[in-house]
Amino acid sequence: MRALVAAAAGLAAALALVLAVTALGSPGGDTSPEPLLSSPPAHP
Amino acid sequence: MRRRASLVLLALAVFCTALSPLLRWYAFPRLAKVPAHHYQAVVLEAKDATLIDYATLEPRRVSTVTMVQTLKGNVEQARRVKAATGRDVVVWDTLTYAAGPDGAMVSRIPERYVFDAHSQQPVHAGGEHVDDTPVRRDGIEFKWPFLVEKRDYRYFDLMTRTSAPIHYKGTRTFRGLDVYYFEQTIPWTEVPLPKRLPLGITPDAVRQLGLERWYTTRRMFWVDPVTGAPVNGEEIHREELRWTGHPEKKPVTAFAGHVKIRPDYVADTVATVKAQRRLVLLLTRDLPSGLIALGVALLAAALVLEARDRRAPAPGVPHDGGKPERPPPGEGALSRGGSP
Repeated sequence: MRALVAAAAGLAAALALVLAVTALGSPGGDTSPEPLLSSPPAHP
Repeated sequence: MRRRASLVLLALAVFCTALSPLLRWYAFPRLAKVPAHHYQAVVLEAKDATLIDYATLEPRRVSTVTMVQTLKGNVEQARRVKAATGRDVVVWDTLTYAAGPDGAMVSRIPERYVFDAHSQQPVHAGGEHVDDTPVRRDGIEFKWPFLVEKRDYRYFDLMTRTSAPIHYKGTRTFRGLDVYYFEQTIPWTEVPLPKRLPLGITPDAVRQLGLERWYTTRRMFWVDPVTGAPVNGEEIHREELRWTGHPEKKPVTAFAGHVKIRPDYVADTVATVKAQRRLVLLLTRDLPSGLIALGVALLAAALVLEARDRRAPAPGVPHDGGKPERPPPGEGALSRGGSP
């Protein structure tokens, strides 16, 4: 019985971690102020 | 104590083993996406190309035709599309600017590409255009999806404004990376003239001369299969102005050249892709396989501890379950009597 509880706790922790990380996602950011270029830059 | 430790190890083993597929099949598809604010400029060159001189309508050989392709993520528009469709999208406003050897403009084609940030499939939310003409894509453009498959994809062609298959032609090694090589051939097709041409010439003026624009290309991409980012691209590109209704008249070559990404941009792209693929591989390969191995090791440790715990005598209980201790050999015989 105690083994089952331990296994369930491990599973619940894994699910909680994955759900939390995916819910956080990645930061959005803003549109770059750089222009659309009409001449080649000297370097990348 | 051992019992408690084995239970903790069991919980950790289940945690690691469950986390492995969850990371790969649940978290990765949701976390891997093209950032909405991505900005990128790439310079391509065609050496010893043929280019039309619009003043004389004659083709001439030039040392270099340069193309600057800029992609700029429009975050505000992406948010608007997400609010309307509920999908995580990227809106790229792009400009393909071609210039002759003197830096003068040859053509200038703006474009808007709206696509799903995770799958890279086009999203039709309005505003998609090529050269200010609305289009409806049904194929990818610029980038392949994450974890590229060894199969043909549909790829959008800027000039014809249609999508056509781009064929997987095998795996190659490019600057230390194993990449998938794709190729697409667009046969001779009549295409619209760019709205902005040199010398202030308009597409209507060209049409009034009785000319129409035809184009063919062989497009090649070397694509990193992990990130889906092309690390190199080339095009063998030809454009002609043909006389409408007069197939017997010799067409005028508007452009002919082998377009390649400038080497410093290839090196920069390869370096960027190498850094990004590490992150993707961490989520799709390294962490899942490492967690499975760790889970198995933890489970084995939990079982070993549990087995030891069952074998070990409980404190205060004799090792044989409480039977009277057997006397040492000899002692018993003497006590039972016999010779004094």
